[in-house]
Amino acid sequence: MDSLLTSAVAGLSAGGAYAILGVCVVFTFRLVAVVNFTATALGAIGAFVMVFLTEAGYPLVPAVLTGLVAGTLASVVVGFVTTIWFSGANQTVKAAVTAAILVCLIALGLRFTGGQHPRAFPDLVGGAGLRLAGVTITTASLVSIALAVILTVAVEQFLARTRTGLQLRALSERPMAAELLGVPVRPLALGVWAASGAMTTIALMLIAPLRSPDFGSLSLLVVPAFAAALVGMFQSFRAALAGGILIGVIEGLASGFVELAQYRSAVPFLVILTVLMWSQRGARWDEAR
Amino acid sequence: MNSRKRATWFGLAAGAGLIAMSGTAFAAGPTCDGGTIKIGSVSTITGPVDFSAAPKAAAAYFDQLNEAGGINGCKIEYFMGDDRGDPLVATQTARDLIDNEKVVVMAGSASLLDCGVNAQLYQRSNVLDVPGLAVDPVCYTAPSVSGVAPGPYVLSTAMLYYASEELGNESICAFNYVIGGWKEAMEGAMAEWEQITGKKLTILDMTLPVQGDLTPYLIRARDEGCDAVFTNQVEPGIVQLINTADAQGIEGIDFVFLASGFTEGVATALKDSPQPIYVGTEWEPYTLENEANSGWRAMIEKAGITPSAFSQAGYLAGEVITSVISGIDGEVTNESVAQALRTMEPATFPIAAAPYLFGEGAMDGPMRATKVVKLDGGVWSVVTPDWLDLPSVN
Repeated sequence: MDSLLTSAVAGLSAGGAYAILGVCVVFTFRLVAVVNFTATALGAIGAFVMVFLTEAGYPLVPAVLTGLVAGTLASVVVGFVTTIWFSGANQTVKAAVTAAILVCLIALGLRFTGGQHPRAFPDLVGGAGLRLAGVTITTASLVSIALAVILTVAVEQFLARTRTGLQLRALSERPMAAELLGVPVRPLALGVWAASGAMTTIALMLIAPLRSPDFGSLSLLVVPAFAAALVGMFQSFRAALAGGILIGVIEGLASGFVELAQYRSAVPFLVILTVLMWSQRGARWDEAR
Repeated sequence: MNSRKRATWFGLAAGAGLIAMSGTAFAAGPTCDGGTIKIGSVSTITGPVDFSAAPKAAAAYFDQLNEAGGINGCKIEYFMGDDRGDPLVATQTARDLIDNEKVVVMAGSASLLDCGVNAQLYQRSNVLDVPGLAVDPVCYTAPSVSGVAPGPYVLSTAMLYYASEELGNESICAFNYVIGGWKEAMEGAMAEWEQITGKKLTILDMTLPVQGDLTPYLIRARDEGCDAVFTNQVEPGIVQLINTADAQGIEGIDFVFLASGFTEGVATALKDSPQPIYVGTEWEPYTLENEANSGWRAMIEKAGITPSAFSQAGYLAGEVITSVISGIDGEVTNESVAQALRTMEPATFPIAAAPYLFGEGAMDGPMRATKVVKLDGGVWSVVTPDWLDLPSVN
C-alpha cells in the first residue's frame, strides 16, 4: 500500500506540469476557439531563449523576462496566422494549421537548439518543497500546481465578471456576430494569444529542468496537455486542472507495476479515449435506441 | 610561374611518375585505376539527429592523407552520404554510392539505421562497411559490417562490470529504453554481465520512457536499495535523470552511462550535481592531450573540427581503412579491399580500445575494452588510466 502511495506521489511532479499546460490549452480554445497544437512548442521557444541567455552569462531575471517576451511574440505570430489569415476557417482547419506549424517548429527548433544536445536549464524556483510518502515534491511542481489553480480561478472570474471577458466569450462563440457588434476582434484575439504564450512560457520554464531538456521532447508535452484539456472537454478549467494532475498520478502508479510500466506513456491516450467514449455515450445510446 | 619553377615542378612530376610506374611494375603496394580510390559513407546528418561529426572527421583524415600524397600515390575520393534518418533514403544513398560512384568500401559512417537497411546490400555487393559510429544492433551481427568501437551493447556489459567489480557495488540496477530492435541486444548485454560476474541485477527494467517523468523510476531504485544505476539513455535523458535524482535528494547511488553521455553539453548541464556520474568512453577519452590522441588532435585542429568522441570515430575509421588498403598488393577494388579486410591480422591503433579485426564481421573479435571518465564539477576526469578489459564469458 505504501509503495502505491509512493508511486502516486511520484507522479505529482509530472501532474503539476500537465495541469498548468492543460489549463493553458483550454484558455486558448475557450477564448479564440483554436485547438492549439503549438502551445508547448511556443513555450519551449521562450524557455530556450532564456537558457541561451543564461548560458551566455546573462543574469537570470533579464533572461527570464526576455524569454517571456520571445514566447509571447512567437505566440502572437501563430495567433496572427490563425486568426487573420484563416479568420473564416472552421476549427478543424485552424487545428490543422497549428499542427502543421508544430511540425515546422520542432524541425527548426531542433536545428537551432543543437538537436539532442542538452541545455542547462536553471531552476527558477529551486528547492525541495515538501516530502510526502518518501518522495520529494519539488517547489517547482508545487508552484506549477498553484499557478494552475490561480489561473483557473482568475480566468473564470475574468470571463464571468468583466466586460472584456464578455466580449471574449462572444468572440469565441460567434466571431462574425461579435465583429458586427463592434467588438474589437483582432486586438482581443491577439491579446489572448499573447497571454496564453506568456503563460505556457512560464510553465515550460518551471517544468524544463526535470524533463528531457531538448526542444522536441518539450514540444511534445502538448500530448498530455491535450489529454488534460480533454478531461474538461476543452471547456472546463477546473476539470483540465484535475485531469492534468490525475494523468500524472496514473502515470506514476503505472510505473509502480512492472507489467504496466511499459505502457505508461500510453496513459494520456487512454485517458483521451475513455473521456471521448464517456462523453459521447449519450449520442451513441440514443442512436442505438 | 617562372620558367625555373616550372622546370622544377616538371622534374618532380616526372620523378613521381617514375616512382609510381616502378610501383606498378613490381606490384608492391596498392594501385588504382584513374588515380583515385573511392570510399563512401552513409550517415544521419539532417533528420532527427546530426551525426555529421564522424564522416566530417573521416573526410578531414582523407584530405590530410591526400595532401601527403595519398596511399601509394592514389588519392582518396570520399563521399559523405546523408540518409536523413529515413530508411528509403539510406538505401538509395548506398545504392548510388555502390552502383554509380563505384566506391570500394564504406568507412566512417555514423547513422541511426544504415546497418539495419543496408547490411545485406553490402554483403551482396561485396562492398564492406567499417562504420565510425554504429547504433543499430544489426551493426553487431551482420557479416558485412565491423565498426571501430566496442559499441553500445558491449559497452553496456562493460559499464555494469565496472559498477560491480571496480566500484565494488553490491546491488546493481539497470533501466533501459528500447526502440527498434534494441530489446534483445540490450537484454543480451545485461545477461552477459550476469554470466561474467555470476551476479543478478536487482532491477532490470526495460520500460524507461524516452519522454516522460523519471521520478517514479528513481524512487523505485532508491527504495529497492540500488547502489548503482545504469541506463542506456542519450544526452538529454542523462541530464533529466540526474536532475531528477538531485531534486529527490538521492544519495549514495553511482550512476553509470554509455559513451553518448561523454560530451561537453552533459558536463556543463550537470556541473553542479553532487551525484557520482561515470561514463564509458569506448575510445581514448577525447579530452586527454596525450600521445594516443596526438594524431587525431593535430588533424582536428588543422581542419577546425570541434573535439568530440564522434570525430575520433571518423578519424579512427579513416586510419583503419587506410592501413588495410595500404597492405593490398595490386589493384584496389571492392573485392581486393573485402579480401584484405576479411584476412587482416588484428591491428592496433592508439585511439582504439583494443586491436581492430574485421574478420567475418562484428561478431568476430569485437573490441571488448573501454576507459571510464567521471564528472567532477563540470569536468570529465579519467578514472581508468589503463583500459578496462571486459572478460569473456567462460
